[in-house]
Amino acid sequence: MSSHASLFALGPALYLAATGLLVLVLDSVGRTTRLPFALGSAVFGVAAVGAAAVAAFTGGTLLGLGVGAHAFAAMNAFLVAFLVYLVDPSGSNRLLVASVAVAGAVFSLGNAAYYLAYFGTTSDAQAALLFGDQLVVDQMSLLFMAIAASVTALVALASYDYLEGHAYQAEYYALVLLAATGMSLMAAANSLATVFVAMELASLPSFALVAFLKKNRGSVEAGLKYFLIGALSSSFFAYGISLVYATTGSLQLEAVASALSGGTEFVGMLGIGMLMLVGGFAYKTASVPFHFWAPEAYEGAPAPISAFISSASKAAGFVIAFRVFTVAFTPAGLFASLGIDWVLVFQILAVVTMTLGNFAAATQENVKRMLAYSSIGHAGYVLIGLASLGGVASQGDTVLGASMMHLFVYGFMNTGAFLFIALVEYWGVGRTFEDYAGLGRKAPVACAAMTVFLFSLAGLPVGAGFLSKYVLFFGAVSAGFWWLAAVGAINSALSLYYYTRVVKAMWVEEPNGELELQGRPTGLYAAVVAAAVVTVLLLPGFFPIAETAIEAANAVLPNAGDTTTAFFG
Amino acid sequence: MNPWIAVGALGVVSVVIPLSMMLVSSLLRPSVPEDSKRTTYESGEVPTGGTRIRFNIQYYMVALLFVVFDIETVLIFPWTVIYRSALEDGVGLVTVLAPMLIFIGVLVVGLAWAWHNGAVQWSRDPQASETQ
Amino acid sequence: MAVPAEYYLVLSAGLFCIGLAGILTRKNALMFLMSVELMLNAANINFVAFSLYWGNLTGQTFALFTMALAAAEVAIGIGIILVLYRNFGDVDVTDAVGMRW
Repeated sequence: MSSHASLFALGPALYLAATGLLVLVLDSVGRTTRLPFALGSAVFGVAAVGAAAVAAFTGGTLLGLGVGAHAFAAMNAFLVAFLVYLVDPSGSNRLLVASVAVAGAVFSLGNAAYYLAYFGTTSDAQAALLFGDQLVVDQMSLLFMAIAASVTALVALASYDYLEGHAYQAEYYALVLLAATGMSLMAAANSLATVFVAMELASLPSFALVAFLKKNRGSVEAGLKYFLIGALSSSFFAYGISLVYATTGSLQLEAVASALSGGTEFVGMLGIGMLMLVGGFAYKTASVPFHFWAPEAYEGAPAPISAFISSASKAAGFVIAFRVFTVAFTPAGLFASLGIDWVLVFQILAVVTMTLGNFAAATQENVKRMLAYSSIGHAGYVLIGLASLGGVASQGDTVLGASMMHLFVYGFMNTGAFLFIALVEYWGVGRTFEDYAGLGRKAPVACAAMTVFLFSLAGLPVGAGFLSKYVLFFGAVSAGFWWLAAVGAINSALSLYYYTRVVKAMWVEEPNGELELQGRPTGLYAAVVAAAVVTVLLLPGFFPIAETAIEAANAVLPNAGDTTTAFFG
Repeated sequence: MNPWIAVGALGVVSVVIPLSMMLVSSLLRPSVPEDSKRTTYESGEVPTGGTRIRFNIQYYMVALLFVVFDIETVLIFPWTVIYRSALEDGVGLVTVLAPMLIFIGVLVVGLAWAWHNGAVQWSRDPQASETQ
Repeated sequence: MAVPAEYYLVLSAGLFCIGLAGILTRKNALMFLMSVELMLNAANINFVAFSLYWGNLTGQTFALFTMALAAAEVAIGIGIILVLYRNFGDVDVTDAVGMRW
């Protein structure tokens, strides 16, 4: 792939970053200068399209044509700013920054989808390597960029209503978008250096966002705990990276793999380093042993932020775990013979994480906290993807791909569930199961959406969560780890119990007192309904996602066979 | 000769010098016990208030801007090391310069935002900052 | 190389453990920040030492990145500690226990 087009391969991430900065700038320009600014933006957008068209037609490659798509989308982002100005010339910046944030995330998503389509339709499409192989854009990166962008779009949409009356809104959106940029870059990171930097870029804004309600003790406490554990695990992660570097003399993942291909004399050092890396991933994905920040942070944070970090941040944590362990520390058998059996570590973590998450969720009285523990449980399911890599090698892509599918679907159903909580918080309804009693009669649409989310999370065939879980457990069985699938299935059955409690409270139980719902928050409703529609639509439309995920897994697993036809034929 | 001897000797010297200075001065100095010698500031200033005073929040803002300007120069450093040799090896000026300009541009947006929000607006009244 | 690489490892491991001990024993949030800083610097020692050992600049450059990130982390951390102080009246991390662990 020609190098001049390569930077544009990072489009989805660049979009989020540019929108984040644009939001800050838009907020700063003030009302009087908004008209010239908006006009200038539109002119700039048109000029960008012209320049890009020239680049695209002289460049010639298909990704080069992507430049045109970028410029077109950039122009649209500016046009949105301009239109919002026309609609509401004297209003506050609130609507402006929210719509620009949503637009930026949607364009990022569109861009990722465009590249995914390019990979899907071009048989000899190659991954784009950038900056001396420090970043790679392949199908796995693009799939996770799509997850980050779609969650960001939903969260930004929902935040418009949730943030009503709060100060520092532009900063909020800018932080969300910059954190999303970090998550997109995590998806593309191909070196431990970029992994670390991208991870910090995703983490630092998240710390501030969790503590965003700075007069609310719960939010501050959640932010503090999230920060403390985050800072601790990032120092573990940095030390782990330093030990891997000490062993191999390299940070780039393929170079680490080739340095280790003949074994190493520093097995102990490498083993400790890899364990510390696992600790860093466990923090980011909210898995055991660094999971205990998650219930606190998700419960205390503003609900859209809980949705954001429990879906997008978790997915981003998983993508680096997938890439680091499948590209750098591969093949798993070599490491097992060295005495560093990382597959075994992930098997233990998967079983402990899903069991702990689901059992703890079953004992909760607070719905948001229940969802937080269920989110830990889902991290356990996804870990099966890494835990099954030591088995039948040709099945590795099915199970790893299934993990990606599950994260993709999870990005909609879990975000939707947390956004429903945001809706309930907006109405000022209480937080426990009892408080949700009778909600179904007052807000049937939102509650129907919530029912879809919960049943899909549990794995019932009302949403795509059913299919992704099914493929995941099927893949684990065919890779030779039937017991992982069995533990997962038992946990899913348990999860049905506590998800059903919410559904029962909403539809069946009588409200304790008079339930008054104030206002109709359009943005929140739109986000919740959109997430529900996608969750349901992915049920019939699951095949393209599955195919993309399995191809993405194939690209990072050299030994895996193409089992797409075997399973879906 | 073992190179560690020099390191050891340096360590010994660094301990011996202060010890000998204290020893010599305690032998030479006249002993005049007096109360005012025990005060915190021998200039005669009487300390008031506790040692744990609260600083104005503005110091925190300045510290954050310090992060922008000082710590981030650390990230420019590796770039300056390769800049000239990259140009000499025939890499285009734009390819070498653009990433750093973008990097600094992002910082400038951050600075502009901070400026806009009054981070560099120093509190005028010293009295007001103490009572805040 | 005059100093064997293992010595650097011992030094950095010692520094890392000091930082970890600080985190586990201190209640003051600011002490926590300082301890984290120690742990990151332990990683930096490894990076710089093994950059020399392997004869490439990757480690040194990454150490610079770690420093910048550590500074950014502290900037966020102090902000969170400030709101902690405003809400709980102290910078003791064990005060903030409104939710169950």
